[in-house]
Amino acid sequence: MSLKNINVALIGNPNVGKTSVFNQLTGLNQQVGNYPGITVEKKMGFCKLPNNIKANILDLPGTYSLNASSIDESVVIELLLNKNDRLYPDVALVVTDVENLKRNLLLYTQIKDLEIPTILVINMADRMEHKGITLDIPYLEEHLKTKIALISSRKGHGIEELKNLIVSYKTISSEPCLNASSIDVEYFNSLRHAFPNQLLYKLWLVITQDVNFLNLERNEIHGSFTKSHSDLKRLQQKETIKRYQFINDVLKEGLKVDSSVAKDFRSKLDRVLTHKIWGYVIFFLILFVIFQSIFEWSKIPMDFIDSTFATLSTMASEHLPSGVLTNLISQGIIPGIGGILIFIPQIAFLFLFISLLEESGYMSRVVFLMDKIMRRFGLSGKSVVPLISGTACAIPAIMATRNIENWKERLITILVTPFTTCSARLPVYAIIIGLVIPDTYVLGILNIQGLTLMLLYVIGFGTAILAAYILNLILKVKGKTFFVVEMPNYKLPMFKNVAINVIEKTKAFVSGAGKIILAISVILWFLASYGPGKQFKNAEQIIKENTKAHPLSPTEFNNAVASQKLENSYIGLMGKTIEPVISPLGYDWKIGIAIISSFAAREVFVGTLATIYSVGGTDNETTIKNKMAAEVNPITGQKIFNFASGISLLLFYAFAMQCASTLAITKKETNSWKWPAGQLVFMSTLAYLVALIAFQILK
Amino acid sequence: MIQEIIAFIILILALAFLIRKFFFKKKSDKNCGSGDNCGCS
Amino acid sequence: MQTTIHSLKKGQKAIILDFDIDVIPLKLLEMGCLPGNEVELLQIAPFGDPLYLNINGSHLAIRIETAKQIGVELIKNKEK
Repeated sequence: MSLKNINVALIGNPNVGKTSVFNQLTGLNQQVGNYPGITVEKKMGFCKLPNNIKANILDLPGTYSLNASSIDESVVIELLLNKNDRLYPDVALVVTDVENLKRNLLLYTQIKDLEIPTILVINMADRMEHKGITLDIPYLEEHLKTKIALISSRKGHGIEELKNLIVSYKTISSEPCLNASSIDVEYFNSLRHAFPNQLLYKLWLVITQDVNFLNLERNEIHGSFTKSHSDLKRLQQKETIKRYQFINDVLKEGLKVDSSVAKDFRSKLDRVLTHKIWGYVIFFLILFVIFQSIFEWSKIPMDFIDSTFATLSTMASEHLPSGVLTNLISQGIIPGIGGILIFIPQIAFLFLFISLLEESGYMSRVVFLMDKIMRRFGLSGKSVVPLISGTACAIPAIMATRNIENWKERLITILVTPFTTCSARLPVYAIIIGLVIPDTYVLGILNIQGLTLMLLYVIGFGTAILAAYILNLILKVKGKTFFVVEMPNYKLPMFKNVAINVIEKTKAFVSGAGKIILAISVILWFLASYGPGKQFKNAEQIIKENTKAHPLSPTEFNNAVASQKLENSYIGLMGKTIEPVISPLGYDWKIGIAIISSFAAREVFVGTLATIYSVGGTDNETTIKNKMAAEVNPITGQKIFNFASGISLLLFYAFAMQCASTLAITKKETNSWKWPAGQLVFMSTLAYLVALIAFQILK
Repeated sequence: MIQEIIAFIILILALAFLIRKFFFKKKSDKNCGSGDNCGCS
Repeated sequence: MQTTIHSLKKGQKAIILDFDIDVIPLKLLEMGCLPGNEVELLQIAPFGDPLYLNINGSHLAIRIETAKQIGVELIKNKEK
């Protein structure tokens, strides 16, 4: 008995619960990767079927038709036209939703035309009673030439029957259910003559779009069968009409709706949620609750991760044999990893909320409410999710722009999202605000420090919008305006789906940003631990000499040596080199070092400051703060961290493009070098100028 | 000494990783999908 | 009475007439926006754009510039 795995492809419209079906079939045996060359996610899973048969389940991106209008959708058609792809399905599961069956079946008839064994999965059976819908399954099976699995992925009903159907896939008819070539008999006849060995519908798909898997040169087809662009479009329209006619005829008998029973929850909710005033009030209230919760809930896990890694670091240096590698591990690698993991709570919580909003169907209403406003700034209503996500981390945020159809709107969203205040900036803000902003109350209840933080968030968001506005005017990028957003029925989010979604997004952050941060941390550690020249090598001697008159205690001595080494290490020299450039902003070379190293990840700024101010590697905020507060400029005698330089630093971090990981993902998603390069130049220049002006005015 | 060697290897790996991430040539210029809203500007 | 989707009032129903398919994306057709199908305007977003419609059973929202291109024939309300 051959135990070859069968390939099962899950295809269907968005919002039909395809992912739930996927989750039901595969449980946690799934992995997300990438299709080669493009940034669409490939979701694969594994499922054990009856009779000891195993199946590879491929969850294809949701699409309304095989005629793709975005990268996501093109993945579907590319797979289905390429019999040689190792993922080419042995059986296709077209997932539909009982409330939108008419529209869902369009895709179904197209798949049938490709003569792949297809099972029709009708999901959301649990809603049939609610909506007064009854189905004549045998009638439908006969006319649609398939086997039907009526399921509820939410309740878990019908899954076993579905698995049995998959196992018996060979018995399912692969006959097309309608004759699409009748839309232009002459044309298709000549095609048939010229290419007798090819599936007619496949040929048609190839002609109408940019797909090339049949090894038929497009020239070959086009030479003899050239039709003008609008002729082809007219034929496609005819095809669509013909398909819907067929579907309507079948559903007239196969599906009955008793509208006296149907309850319409959707329109009642819609009236409130898309209301001129209440819609927005509710939305902003929800946003407020989300942000408050994220801050509050993340504190405990973050503190836990922080102290755990501090302990690990000490343990490593104490228990591993002393030497360079041990130092690298305890001072470079462990803090590096800790620095990445510490953001997981915030990111996970944010995506939890976003996922809940999306699963419930509410997000579409937000897009609907915000589209017109966003368009004034060159963005789309669909830019809302990326912009909100950017407050956790820009990386998953930028990935979320994939559903924006208009390339210009998508590009602008990608470019401005890094302006929103991401969680990595918070430690920097916290320490600077703690240093230079007085901890007092205005009007008795408003804390100035808190207000400053809020102001920074507003600046971040405002700059994003403003930058979008300017980019919209400057950029001459081609982009057809084409906006459609489906308004799905409201449903209760399914815990399983939400959980899996959150895990995926968090993994994206950890693997996308994590590796880069770790690599840069390693490099920075080397730059800080080694230095050219005698000043570095003979640090101990030099300190001994300098303090002969007033000998230091052992701790003080070690701190002084560490300080001397740092000043003359590679990174110290880099800091000194850029000092003339940053001193007009109120910074000295020590801050210079911190700025350079925070290019790995902004929060490295704080850790680096701890090292610089020689507090022996512990991230004890009050001690660092005291030391920083005491720092004095040797030439002017003034405090380094004063109000002017503090504000200047805050603004610098608000605008600076300092995240290597974000640049990497921008390059990947825009497929080009020039956009991240432009971002880097523009944002760095802006940060520099604003910080400069701020310092010069305030000093 | 072993420690130094291993540490040095780690450094090289980190550098190599970053270089590949940022300077990696696009090996497949496969069509980015149909429609004019793909990444090719 | 002939008009475009753009000019529908909230709650009005109409039948879709022929439209210029070079201007309307295929995707919209595939979602059910075809001559002969029924369209109902459910909600208008604040500021007037986009429009939330029920086209042939599909609930979706499109922008005004697309709505302007689709001609419709109003269905008279036979009640009252």
